[in-house]
Amino acid sequence: MSHADPIAEPSADLSNAALVRRMLALAWKYRFGCLQIIALQGVLLVLSVVGLTMLGTAIDVIRHAAVAGSPSPNFPFGWTPPSEWTPYRVALVAAGTVLVVGLVRALFSFWLAIVVARVVQLGIVVALRSLVYDKLQRLGFRFFDRHTTGSIINRVTGDVQSVRLFVDGVVIPVIMVLLSLVLYFVYMLRLHVGLTLACLATMPVTWLLSVRFSRKVRPAYERNRDLVDRMVLTLTENVRGVHVVKGFGREPEEIAKFDQASGAVRTQQHWIFEQVSRYTPTVEMLSSLNQAVLLGYGGWLVIQGALPLGGGLIVFSGLLQQFSSQVTRVAGIINSVQQSLTGARRVFEIVDAPVEISSPASPVRLPKIAGELVFENVSFGYDPTKPVLRNVSLTIKPGQCVALVGATGAGKTSLLSLIPRFYDPTAGRVLLDGVDLRQFELDELRRSIGVVFQESFLFSDTIAANIAFGRPDATPEQVEAAARIASADEFICEYPQGYETKLREGGSNLSGGQRQRLAIARALLLSPPILLMDDPTAAVDPRTEHEILDAMQSAMQGRTTIVVAHRLSMLRRADLVLVLDDGEIVDQGTHEELMHRPGPYRKAARIQVDFNEPEPLERAS
Amino acid sequence: MATSARKSTESQAATGTAGKMVNAWRAPTHDGEPNEAATKPLEWSLIAWIYQFTNPHAPKRNRLFAFVVLRSIQLPLMAWTLGRVIEGPVSHGSATGLAWGVAGYLALAAFTNGTLHFRQRLALELGESVVQDLRNAIFAHLQELRMSFFNRTKLGRIISRTTSDVEAVRAGIQDVFFVSIVGSGQIIGAGLLMALYDLPLFLVVSLLAPVLWCVNLVFRKRLSQVHREVHESFSRITSSLAESVNGIEVTQSFVRQDVNAERFSDLIDDHSQYTLKAARTSGSFLPLLEFNNQIFLALLLAVGGYRVLSPDIQMPIGSLIQFFFLANILFQPIQALGEQYNAALTAMAGAERIRELLQTEPDWQDAPREDSGITQGNDIAGRVRFENVGFEYDAGVPVLHEVSFAAEPGQTIALVGHTGSGKTSIINLVAKFYLPTAGRVLIDEADMRALPNRQLHKHLGIVLQQNFLFSGTVRDNIRVGRPDADEVAVRDAVAKLDCLDLIEALPRGFDTEVGENGCNLSLGQRQLLCFARAMLADPRILILDEATSSIDILTEARLQHALAKLLAGRTAFVIAHRLSTIRHADLVLVLANGRIVQRGTHNQLVSQPGTYRELYEQFIQATAA
Repeated sequence: MSHADPIAEPSADLSNAALVRRMLALAWKYRFGCLQIIALQGVLLVLSVVGLTMLGTAIDVIRHAAVAGSPSPNFPFGWTPPSEWTPYRVALVAAGTVLVVGLVRALFSFWLAIVVARVVQLGIVVALRSLVYDKLQRLGFRFFDRHTTGSIINRVTGDVQSVRLFVDGVVIPVIMVLLSLVLYFVYMLRLHVGLTLACLATMPVTWLLSVRFSRKVRPAYERNRDLVDRMVLTLTENVRGVHVVKGFGREPEEIAKFDQASGAVRTQQHWIFEQVSRYTPTVEMLSSLNQAVLLGYGGWLVIQGALPLGGGLIVFSGLLQQFSSQVTRVAGIINSVQQSLTGARRVFEIVDAPVEISSPASPVRLPKIAGELVFENVSFGYDPTKPVLRNVSLTIKPGQCVALVGATGAGKTSLLSLIPRFYDPTAGRVLLDGVDLRQFELDELRRSIGVVFQESFLFSDTIAANIAFGRPDATPEQVEAAARIASADEFICEYPQGYETKLREGGSNLSGGQRQRLAIARALLLSPPILLMDDPTAAVDPRTEHEILDAMQSAMQGRTTIVVAHRLSMLRRADLVLVLDDGEIVDQGTHEELMHRPGPYRKAARIQVDFNEPEPLERAS
Repeated sequence: MATSARKSTESQAATGTAGKMVNAWRAPTHDGEPNEAATKPLEWSLIAWIYQFTNPHAPKRNRLFAFVVLRSIQLPLMAWTLGRVIEGPVSHGSATGLAWGVAGYLALAAFTNGTLHFRQRLALELGESVVQDLRNAIFAHLQELRMSFFNRTKLGRIISRTTSDVEAVRAGIQDVFFVSIVGSGQIIGAGLLMALYDLPLFLVVSLLAPVLWCVNLVFRKRLSQVHREVHESFSRITSSLAESVNGIEVTQSFVRQDVNAERFSDLIDDHSQYTLKAARTSGSFLPLLEFNNQIFLALLLAVGGYRVLSPDIQMPIGSLIQFFFLANILFQPIQALGEQYNAALTAMAGAERIRELLQTEPDWQDAPREDSGITQGNDIAGRVRFENVGFEYDAGVPVLHEVSFAAEPGQTIALVGHTGSGKTSIINLVAKFYLPTAGRVLIDEADMRALPNRQLHKHLGIVLQQNFLFSGTVRDNIRVGRPDADEVAVRDAVAKLDCLDLIEALPRGFDTEVGENGCNLSLGQRQLLCFARAMLADPRILILDEATSSIDILTEARLQHALAKLLAGRTAFVIAHRLSTIRHADLVLVLANGRIVQRGTHNQLVSQPGTYRELYEQFIQATAA
């Protein structure tokens, strides 16, 4: 099931406009949290302007008192200190206000950080991840065929973060930037119109530069990631293939290969460095230019008496700095929009993906499944234009053991995967006890089928939990009983912790034969009327093969079994052997029957006999 | 200019952009071993060790030093100029003074930003150059290390050396060092100017600096702790996800979706608790820093105002204004220095691990070329003899005892025995991946120790079970053993195996990309490629570990045929899994517990009771009974 042929993407509307609409809807769902965030940020904004104004006023007060002939201060917020107050007392009150405002701001900032984390990380991200994960597990295998593990993992981790970025990196900041720009702008205009306009003249340039810069450099960073990945791949292969490298004396070529990969990273980095080291000083210079304008024009206005020094010039410079940091945020917001669109497309692709295989509205329920399987003119292809099964018809009686043989790619695994409905046929139908598989409740159907794969995936959990994977509520006795039938009990008990032994990721602390026996036990615990085994000895040492064969033998008792097999020992035991070639059943019968007629089966079996058939031991001894 | 929104251009300049690369490739940390230390205290010898890597780039480094020192003077100077213009011409109403002041400020700004360009570019380039040198040095050193190193070291660890550790050192070189110089210069410059303007006021406000430093230290420590927790809980999520995706067939066929979803939801809940904790910590850190700024401003107003207004002191108002501007330059580097200090600790940990790797000696030294018993260029005949060979991977745990046998040129030697009986160890010794701990291995009657590795490996071919392929085309992979082989030679090698049709049947023939670890090819095709690779290298001695996986019968027949062609005319050591190979071997060595317990041909061995007979019967039962 590793076909990676591209098939039609889900047809749902994933245009930018649709994505933005959906993400806005997401933000709307969390509107109370968002409003709280905006309100808090608004308070912080006002507080910072208040603090700044108090500072400027205080400077004016001190200057007025200390320097003869300097202008008297303008008191802000309609507040005038009582006339009996000394200038120093006014300055102290201002200092106190700055301190109190600072403390309140610190508290509010803390509160804000918590609210943001709650809304975003505890709210949106958790909800989205659960949603995506849940859907992921129900998707048909076509989806998994089409995407790599890494890309799927990224959808639940990174891409979900990109989607939430739309809320706290786009929607909220846009509102805040607009609010604060208006506030600053109005405040600055109130101080002096001409100065405001003069100082803001460079803003559009800065903004354009930063947008252009990130647009220019971002693809270069992406390319850089690819180059670094390639370099790491060279290293990984070198270490994993160390036998080949050393065995063929390939070290010098490998060093040259790595030098080249590492040099490619460096060369490309240099271009980025050049861009970065041009951009930063330019933006810095623009900001210096701004300050020069403020200093020149503003200073002249102070000299003319049109602007107070503290409450005017110094406050202005503070506001200007905050204004320009808001403007540079816009470039960040634009990047966030791009990032969240990309992420949203990948997340919603999963959320919208049709669950290709699902249960019907009113499923058929059978009191007991006997296990008769009928294929009626079944055709199937992972890519509908390239069928891997063609017009397959066959009948398997309850309790029969059927072996499938054929070359790689003949369609054996595909045929098996239609029975638990991992895929549905593109034409024809598969019947279980006379009922189309599609009419059963999907979960019930799958629970009545035990599957053993070529290489069985085990989870990093205890042995017991792995066996009880399909029935987490099974008693220890049931687990042990299943393990005994699968001849796994013996080796499990050799571990000091027995059934409670923890498996490493992928069960890597077990041998291939042990893994397969656990997989058989896992399938048996379901006591399924149907058992499917996809060449369970494929990845196992021939000398330990017989251990699995015994387990397989006892597992088959009393069940309809379909097994993909190569070995004559298994083929001889089957009630029916189906020979598949290029998606078609080209021959069927018992081993004996097939051996009596010419055909691919006899040819293949003879080759195997040639290689492995023992010379009679009587003669040898 | 002054007041609240302080930005740290200096550290942004270098880390903000190039720092992104640190995250570009993160090695898996989930290898079941204790996590590696993230930080390490500063250590002089290690700093000196890193520093020497800048020596090859000395001109660049020295110019960078000059620019950095220049910049640490320019920054306080710019702030001073601003303050000077305001307290001077603006306060006193001199329009010409103002014009001159602004012109001077602009000129200084242009100069400063010109410096910034070079300072930034040189730092980034220097960092990258050193990083590249380090990576290449690590890689080249890895090629020198012996097989035992690769057996005891996890791939993830080796990758971390060339990725995250090297990146940590990069940060150390391009940022920590130079940002610290600029930062310290700024503090000294601004401090001096402030002290000159008004010493008592300077002393009062500089009391805040240690407070700031402590807040920094405490919170950074706590932050890195919670970030580690966040990271760990996150990697639990990813590994659970990876399992879910890789095991999706099992999950769906066993109808486990709901149980899995519940477990996953527990994991993300757990993770979000850590995220909240992190938010709480950083949410109190940044406001505290900000609050510290406000305390400073309030202090300046209260104390400075007093000193200006008090008739006894009469500090000029201009000095107070200067303080507002210079304070930024004084305080801003403190936070940046805190960041750099942390980066330095991380760089130390990375550098230490890199140094350890680079100083790992190969387990044994290769023979120098001139000592070789077999002169260069001469072909070897391919006689291999083991003389009382004993071997242990770990001292005190022998895996081979007293092994003696001789393989004549052109013979096929089949090694048979249970897992752990010593077959692979014998092969490892023939390939000189390890040296025997007792006895000798002789090639053409010369001790293998005297034979340089490169020389031996020129005459050696190896095909192992894993059938390892490099990403690249089929042709590239066949050419691994002889990179200079031309198209004709490559086709010829495959034709000799009678398998040209199989390669040509691939989607793009010899140009088919095999993908990482050959995932686009079937098992049989992969093994065939490895055969062709060995065929092209045309070695005198061939080492082969037959594939254990069952391949469909027809392909298997082709492979058997190809294998016979490959073995013809070479001394071959085969860990045999196929009966046909064993039957055709000139000598079968039966191993048990590291000793040769039986030897002879198949026919001889099968006729006498013993280990071989037992193995044989088991084998037949499994495959054809």
